[in-house]
Amino acid sequence: MTQQEVRLCGLLLQEHFGEVVEKVAVHLLRTGAQTLRGIAQETSTPLDLVKKSLCVLAQHGMCEFRRGRRGPAGAVEYLATSERILRILRYPRYIYTAKTLYGDTGELIVEEVLQRGHMTMSGSVKTVADRLTHNMEEGRSMDYSEVVTAFSKLVETHFIQRCPPVADVGAAPPAAGPGAQAAPAAPPSPADSHPERYTLPHVKLTGRGKRRHPSEESEGEQRGAKRAKMDTSESSGDTGIYWQVNFDRFHQHFRDQAIVSAVASKLDQTSSEIVRTMLRMSEVTTTPTAACTQPLSANEIFRALPPSYSITRPVLEQYLSLLVDDPMEFVGKSGESGGGMYVVNLHKALATLSRATLESVVQERFGSRSARIFRLLLRKRHLEQKQVEDFAMIPAKEAKDMLYTLLSENLVQLQEIPKTPDHAPSRTFYLYTVNPLPTARLLLQHCYKAVGNLMERRQYETKENKRLLEKSQRIEAILASLQASGAEPSQLTEVEEMITAPERQQLQALRHHVNKLDSSENQVDETIFLLESYINSTQTSR
Amino acid sequence: MAEVKVKQELTDPVEIENRIKDLCQQFPHGITDQVIQNDMPHVEAQQRAMAINRLLSVGQLDLLRNSTGLLYRLKDTQSASKMKGSDNQEKLVYQIIEDAGNKGIWSRDIRYKSNLPLTEINKILKNLESKKLIKAVKSVAASKKKVYMLYNLQPDRSVTGGAWYSDQDFESEFVEVLNQQCFKFLQGKAEVARDSKQSPMVQRNSSFATSHEVWKYICELGISKVELSMDDIETILNTLIYDGKVEMSVIAAKEGTAGCVDGQMKLYRGVNPIIQSTGLVKTPCGLCPVFDDCHEGGEISPSTCIYMTEWLDF
Repeated sequence: MTQQEVRLCGLLLQEHFGEVVEKVAVHLLRTGAQTLRGIAQETSTPLDLVKKSLCVLAQHGMCEFRRGRRGPAGAVEYLATSERILRILRYPRYIYTAKTLYGDTGELIVEEVLQRGHMTMSGSVKTVADRLTHNMEEGRSMDYSEVVTAFSKLVETHFIQRCPPVADVGAAPPAAGPGAQAAPAAPPSPADSHPERYTLPHVKLTGRGKRRHPSEESEGEQRGAKRAKMDTSESSGDTGIYWQVNFDRFHQHFRDQAIVSAVASKLDQTSSEIVRTMLRMSEVTTTPTAACTQPLSANEIFRALPPSYSITRPVLEQYLSLLVDDPMEFVGKSGESGGGMYVVNLHKALATLSRATLESVVQERFGSRSARIFRLLLRKRHLEQKQVEDFAMIPAKEAKDMLYTLLSENLVQLQEIPKTPDHAPSRTFYLYTVNPLPTARLLLQHCYKAVGNLMERRQYETKENKRLLEKSQRIEAILASLQASGAEPSQLTEVEEMITAPERQQLQALRHHVNKLDSSENQVDETIFLLESYINSTQTSR
Repeated sequence: MAEVKVKQELTDPVEIENRIKDLCQQFPHGITDQVIQNDMPHVEAQQRAMAINRLLSVGQLDLLRNSTGLLYRLKDTQSASKMKGSDNQEKLVYQIIEDAGNKGIWSRDIRYKSNLPLTEINKILKNLESKKLIKAVKSVAASKKKVYMLYNLQPDRSVTGGAWYSDQDFESEFVEVLNQQCFKFLQGKAEVARDSKQSPMVQRNSSFATSHEVWKYICELGISKVELSMDDIETILNTLIYDGKVEMSVIAAKEGTAGCVDGQMKLYRGVNPIIQSTGLVKTPCGLCPVFDDCHEGGEISPSTCIYMTEWLDF
């Protein structure tokens, strides 16, 4: 847990859940496991606020609790999980992916589930249907069954899964001793402990989405409360079965997309389609952490290829052998049976992609010549300064400058190998080298900081223009109410003109800035995703 | 009659000397005593020895020792004539420089080898230089270091740095231009292959170019004033590999094919990068020179960042 991660977690939580939650979570991140009373005291927050914040965090799976250190009688301790909090940054991408794969319905389902942490199927179906109906033309509405179909599709493809059953703190095995304490802390790995996570419950949901009329709003609280009461009373037969977004599955999808687009840009569209087909075929059969996909025979691949590409069998074989020959080594051959067995080397692909990311950072930041040196060191592992100059064909003076700059930025490491035990500089080899894994970790921290910076800047921009934003919101509200009451057009323009031209310009600039910052955050998140998956995959393969 | 005359003439010491010199010219690697004996069976050993001694003392002949015995060799007449009027020290220094060949030798190393004082050596070197017997060449390895070699020698690549140096300066612009031209050539080839609409295997194979082809293309372009070797071009192509723009593969080839070295042929082809620039470097923070000093509330902070302001207004 680094300072940059904590900072970013804090910023994300502040934006989504407000300052109290942020305070509690950051405190937990900084200090590790804490009891409820400890948190309340050290953050000097009222106990009920801390409780509420912990509820929010637990609802979203961002904090865990476990029995205290002092045996079963000890106070329960709470623990924040930074990985889960950092996922907030990727929410837009999850939602967007759901939209591209399953349309508006899928988008709204994933959005709802993400917004609420976890929810029942019936609950999400109802809300989504209502929201869709609200956006439709007057007189039309969304049928529940359609939303149910979309939901079950998402479950079938494992994008949404059941929440693992909550282990009852009190009922945990009373295995005493310090060794057993770690056991409940580890999250129950869903693969073995929870066989039913993709089974849909039998839900009886009939009806259509209800339209919320603007006039109803005025009645406010009362009606909302009434509706809530109604919802709870008519049980749909799935109470207690909660669903959450399966981040691993989404990440698998992102990874596959990254691999496919890398193949497309290095080779051509057709090769990338073949790789896409291979990845899709093994989507469900390959575990998320596997080093390569299950072997697929050329026959199988041929049959699974969408007919629209019109690739004939011999051409497919040529493409496959080209992919195998390519120095990227994304695709490997594992056997000869069935017309040749092929696998996609997932770890290798991630390593190559993250290497390309590192190279790209060096290239953009220090120029293409430094990137040449960087790649040279990646290829040749250890080189002396003289060798670097000769291989890269860069004059000694410039090469030295670049090497030292890279060294001072920790992108390149220096290894001393003394010929004599006294480490005399004249009798020592100085070898430059690049270690991809530590360098990736370094860049990951840079990314966290960069996103944090972007978010802070965004908050600053909105704060600076707060008055203006409030004014425009007020005027929009007035306009809406005037329109609803059927005001004269002249009246409307009069209200509209309350925002002066320079103010309008300023608002537009602000919108432009915020959009730019937002999209940059998402772009940096793509880098974060690649580096994170590379680091995780290298750790698991060890 | 003629035979008798020859025999008579051979007895003359001058004639014997000339005859020995002729023999030496026939065998530039040197002759043994036996060869002289076989050539002039009638000359007595004493006369022969006298003639050889005279030649040696005049400095026209060199006495060398090798595994089979003593060898006589004609001294370089040119250098012999040039060395005229120089003393033994000068000859010694000259010898040392001659031994160093086209790699040259540093004056300090001459001192170690000759055991002469440095001032003396400097004097001798100046002397020899003015006679145009030797020359001083600046080494690229260390710009202050001068090495000496015989006047008529072409300095070694290690001294001049090969085609990439002119006057001890690395011609980085020249290298850059060649780098770009090679890439253009390979890229063009890859594009033609891509547009050919042939089967993917043929497309890939026709995008390859051997180093010989690249070399020929560069030579025909005539951008280089100096003669470039195929090795030079391969070094350039290697820099393209390190730029991530080119891939190399080695195939076996029949000896004698153009561009074939030791039964191997190096094939190069231009490739596309696997990713566009990554997300991080699309933000100002990814390129910021003061990234490490940036903190909220500090002198440099995201809220007041001028790079960010410029980028936002862009």
